[in-house]
Amino acid sequence: MKLNGVSVEATGSLLDTVLAAGIALPHLCKDDNLPVIGACRTCLVEADGRIVAACSTPAAGVQECATDSERAVRIRRGVLELTAAMQSGPAGAAGGPRSAESLEAYASHAPRPGQYGLRSGTHADLSNPFFSFHEDACILCARCVTACQELQHIGAIGIAGRGHTARVTPGAGVSFRESICTSCGSCVAACPTSALRPKG
Amino acid sequence: MAAMARPLPPDFPIRSQLLARLYDEQRRAGWIAPGFADAIARELRLPVAEVWEAATSYADFRSAPLIGDEVRCAGLSCQLARGAFAEMPSEASHCLFRCYDAPATGGEEPFPAPMVRQAGPLLAPDITNTDRLNAARRLGRDAALNAVAESGLRGRGGAYFPVGTKWRAALEERRPIALVVNAEEGEPGVFKDRALLSLAPRRVVEGIAIAAFILEPAVIVVFANGQADPAVRSLEEALDIAEPQLDVAIVRGGGGYVLGEESALLNALEGRRPVPRTKPPYPVQSGLFGMPTVVNNIETFANLSVHFGDVPGFRTRGTPETPGTKILSVSGRVRLPGAYEVPLGVSLRKVVEQSGPAVAGEVAVLAGGPSGGFLSAGHLDVPLQPGILHATGAMLGAGGIVVLDAPGDIRDAALAMARFNAEESCGKCTPCREGTPRLYDLLAAGDVDGIDGLAEVIQFGSLCGLGQMAPGPVRSALHFWPGVFA
Ligand code: SF4
Ligand code: SF4
Ligand code: FES
Repeated sequence: MKLNGVSVEATGSLLDTVLAAGIALPHLCKDDNLPVIGACRTCLVEADGRIVAACSTPAAGVQECATDSERAVRIRRGVLELTAAMQSGPAGAAGGPRSAESLEAYASHAPRPGQYGLRSGTHADLSNPFFSFHEDACILCARCVTACQELQHIGAIGIAGRGHTARVTPGAGVSFRESICTSCGSCVAACPTSALRPKG
Repeated sequence: MAAMARPLPPDFPIRSQLLARLYDEQRRAGWIAPGFADAIARELRLPVAEVWEAATSYADFRSAPLIGDEVRCAGLSCQLARGAFAEMPSEASHCLFRCYDAPATGGEEPFPAPMVRQAGPLLAPDITNTDRLNAARRLGRDAALNAVAESGLRGRGGAYFPVGTKWRAALEERRPIALVVNAEEGEPGVFKDRALLSLAPRRVVEGIAIAAFILEPAVIVVFANGQADPAVRSLEEALDIAEPQLDVAIVRGGGGYVLGEESALLNALEGRRPVPRTKPPYPVQSGLFGMPTVVNNIETFANLSVHFGDVPGFRTRGTPETPGTKILSVSGRVRLPGAYEVPLGVSLRKVVEQSGPAVAGEVAVLAGGPSGGFLSAGHLDVPLQPGILHATGAMLGAGGIVVLDAPGDIRDAALAMARFNAEESCGKCTPCREGTPRLYDLLAAGDVDGIDGLAEVIQFGSLCGLGQMAPGPVRSALHFWPGVFA
């Protein structure tokens, strides 16, 4: 297939193919260790004229894929502007090992600051001895929940509520400390923002 | 009150019992307490966070008790009839599905026969024998499958996918199939499945029997709207007397527009948070608990019965690409609201004229509800068929037609649709969850400049059809009546 005009071998998903070719593309809800989630929509590319999520689109069958078309970049920037508007917390808070992924996505797409008014949660959960959770940095990518439920098979956290009321929550409205969380740290390791932060 | 008169098979994964348990608790107590979630999690051996995800993800489930009296309908036609688009109280329902009886309050009722304004083969008096099922059986499985494919029948839930193609794809998996009967009908302004289930339930059941004969499914599940008690009762009665008996489970839903998306509905049946899955795999490849899964709508099953009653005759109605009839749900500013069964391809103007519009200004139409769009009086000469009716958003969809007064109703109606989409976003993906509330805000503020860019992000960035089609009502209203938003 052709990727940004250059012939490459199609492997796995479009995202796999793009990353294998050494091209940067945000993928804020797709972690190597986790199944496809499809929630963040920051991996949008133009494939044979259609805008698709690279993480969930098989590369086989696609003739031409562009990560750099004007339309794909414009729509990704729009998604990232909506994403950034979910984060009202202080910039520069130190997160887990993958927390730079969101910063890199912003840096490469130059979202217009203040394009959308801030709209984020404010709850913070400091109860776990090893990490804390800060809603004001969470982009609801669901990586943490997927890591906890499908990788660790613990299921200590979930996303409660529909639409704009959706929130990452342990248990039925209890704190991390009171939940069945084993402090394994998988959620912190997966988080692409500083919403889940190691302590100390 | 018993919601699980027909439970899922006991050998199904235990988490498939979760939705029914939550539903029963909501009906019993009026809300779902965290303590109940804890108890049910222990009993079903599920993590409590996963139970809480499901408990808080349905429109009709409350995580606090309801205070207040009567449920009032906040659907478009009922707001019009009440004469006010005032802020609705919290006990407002998005739709009570009695748009023909606006302004509706209270609960649901059996669909009244006089509200069938125009009947065809689907809404004709109900069948009394199994002649059409017998006709399919005489053909044999393969020939009957070919007959379905050659009939050109397309699904009537709104996407109009060819039924034969869907069935063949599931059969090609060569694994036990799940057949899901979609009776969720959650789009405001659409009441045709309720009409069919109330007035012609045996026709629907015969259609299910025909599908079961051809697909030989390992399990048949009806996913029924949680509010539609009269329709579900009527279906159960028809199942009770069906000959031969069909082994059918009935699961009641907790409400939410996103259940119109097949994979969200399958997640709901599995006891998971009802949000769409990425595709591939498609449900026909891997759906309910990984089984190849066929999901068809109530009206599609009724069409199967009609088809096998007159195989050569089926194609004589409708258009060559989309044969057959379609039940339209007409409401709004008309003298004769109700169900109109029309051949596909009929002109929208004809339907509107038949329904007796009563408007002060010009006639306008909302076609396709919150996922569709508005049409002005000059654009009504379109044939009603699948696909878009106008580039700005109007579409046939599930067949909801709301007649409005332009320009008087347009601003309120467009805002009502924008608000509905924002409130019904399931919350999984960023463009829809974050974008739809802002689309509403921009429209309410008359900030027309910002809308185009945001609408593009929502339409092309969202994961499922709910988000992808959410900009339609906003775009179309701005296109035809830009002045009313200034
Ligand atoms: S806490 Fe982190 S990983 Fe979890 S949803 Fe929020 S941003 Fe994603
Ligand atoms: S488009 Fe809306 S309804 Fe569909 S998955 Fe995304 S948030 Fe959910
Ligand atoms: S990485 Fe593709 S949608 Fe998030």
